[in-house]
Amino acid sequence: MNQILIDLALELGKLIAIAVVVLVFMLVAVLYLVLKLRWVIARIQSRLGPNRTGPWGVAQTVADALKLFQKEDIIPKGADKWLFTIAPALVFIPAYLVYVVIPFGAGLTAQSLNVGVMYISAISSIGVIGIIVGGWASNNKWSLLGAFRGASQLISYEVPIILALVVPVLINGSLDLNTIVANQSGGFWHWDLFTGFPMLPLAFLMLVIAGLAEINVTPFDIMEAESELVAGFNTEYSGMKFALFFLAEFAESFTLSAIITTLFLGGYQPPLHILGGQLTGIAFSAVSLFWFMAKCWVLVVFIMWVRSTLPRVRVDQLMNLSWKALIPTGLVNLLLTGAYVVFWMHK
Amino acid sequence: MSTILSDIKNSFVSIIKGLKVTAINWSILRPCVTELYPEQRPQLPEAYRGMPTLPVRPETGRSDCIACGACARMCPEHIITVEVDKTDPKDRKPAKFSIDISRCMFCGLCMEVCPKGCLRPARTFELASRTREGMIYNLDKLNELGGQLPPEPETKLES
Repeated sequence: MNQILIDLALELGKLIAIAVVVLVFMLVAVLYLVLKLRWVIARIQSRLGPNRTGPWGVAQTVADALKLFQKEDIIPKGADKWLFTIAPALVFIPAYLVYVVIPFGAGLTAQSLNVGVMYISAISSIGVIGIIVGGWASNNKWSLLGAFRGASQLISYEVPIILALVVPVLINGSLDLNTIVANQSGGFWHWDLFTGFPMLPLAFLMLVIAGLAEINVTPFDIMEAESELVAGFNTEYSGMKFALFFLAEFAESFTLSAIITTLFLGGYQPPLHILGGQLTGIAFSAVSLFWFMAKCWVLVVFIMWVRSTLPRVRVDQLMNLSWKALIPTGLVNLLLTGAYVVFWMHK
Repeated sequence: MSTILSDIKNSFVSIIKGLKVTAINWSILRPCVTELYPEQRPQLPEAYRGMPTLPVRPETGRSDCIACGACARMCPEHIITVEVDKTDPKDRKPAKFSIDISRCMFCGLCMEVCPKGCLRPARTFELASRTREGMIYNLDKLNELGGQLPPEPETKLES
C-alpha cells in the first residue's frame, strides 16, 4: 500500500515538474517573441526598436510584463463578471496544453501521444470558446463584433488546417508526432517538404496560409482590426487578464511554427547527418533541441515578416479564401494523397 | 479558368514583391532614421526659430530693447510682460521683461514686430521645466539665453 502511495506521489511530482518546465519555457519564449517582433517591425520601418532597457533592450518585455502585473484589473459595468474572468483562462489553457505533445527534441516531449496531431487540432480549437465568451461578457459592441468575427474566422480556417495536417499524417502513416519526426531522419532531403512528392509542398503552403489566419496575425487579423474594432474581443480587458490573452496569442504563433516544423521540416532532425545525427543520448537531445528551436525561429521570423508587410484583408475576402480556395484545394490534395498512398506507396 | 489562374499567379507575385520591399528595408541597405536623442544631438537647421530671447549687445552690456511694448501688444497669447524703467527719460530700457514660455506657440510675431530687431530666436529647444514658474523667463534669463549679438557691421547711410 505504501509503495503505491510513493509511486503515486512520484508520478504526481513528475507531472507537476513537467508542467512547470513547459510553462516556464512558454513564458520565456513569449517574452522573447514579443521583443523579436518589435525589433523586426522596427527594423522594417527603418527604426531601431527597443534599445534602452538592459543591453540592446533585452529587458524591455520583462519591464512591460511587470508593468502589466501592476495595472488595475478593471471589470466594466454591465459585464458578466464570471464569464469575463474565466475567458482569458479559456484562451490561455488550450494554448498552453498544445505544448504538451510537441517534440522539442529527441526524448524531449512532455507526453508522447499516439494521436498527437488530432490532439493539437482538437485542443487548439477550444480557444475560440474563450474568445467568444470574452467578447460577449465584455458588454461592448466592439468586443462582441470582434468575437463574432473571430469565431467565424477560426471555425472556417479549422477545416483547411486539418485538410493540410492530414497529408503528412497519411504519408507517414502515424498521428504520433514523434513517429513522424523519426520518419524524417537522415538529412534535409528526407524532410516531408523536400521529398519531391508535390502534394506535401501544397499542404505546407496551405498550412502556412491557414495557420496565419488561425493565429490571427496581421493579414488576417480582422477579429482585432484596430481601425474598425479598437482591439476586438479584448477591448475591455486590462492588467493580468489582458496579459493572458497576449500571452496566448504569441504562444500560438510559436505553436504554429512548431507544428509546421514537426510535420514538414523534419522536427528536431538536423539538416545534415554530420551536424549532430551521429550523436546519441543526452548529446543528441541537446543538439536536436537546438535544431528544433532554430527552425521554429526561422518560421516565427517569417511570420513576423509577413505580418509587417501585408495589409489586412476584408471579411468577405477572408471567407472567400477559406471556403472557395483553400478547402477545395485541400480536398483535392487529400484525395490525390490518399490515392498515392493506397496505389503507389505501399506497392 | 484562365482569369482564376492569372489571379492566383498575380496574388503570389504581388505578395513576393511586397516581401521583397520589406526585406530591403530590413537589410543593412536602409539605415535607421532613429536619432538616439540624448546621446546624438539633432542637427539644427541654419534658420532654426526657437523661443524669443533678448541678446545682449556687447558695447552697451544690455539688449537693444526700448520697452516700447509692441511685442506685448502683438502677442496673440498675451504672455509677454514689459515694464519701462522710468529712472532716466533719455534712456529707455525695460525694468521688467518676462515671457511665459509654457503658453508660447512660437509664432514669431513678437520678433517680427520689434522695431529694434532685438528679440531674436534662440537656437535651443530643451525648454522643459518641472514647475510652472520655471517656464517664465525674466529679463536676466532672456539675456543669458540670447547670448551676445555679433558686433554691428560699420555701415553708413548716404544722406
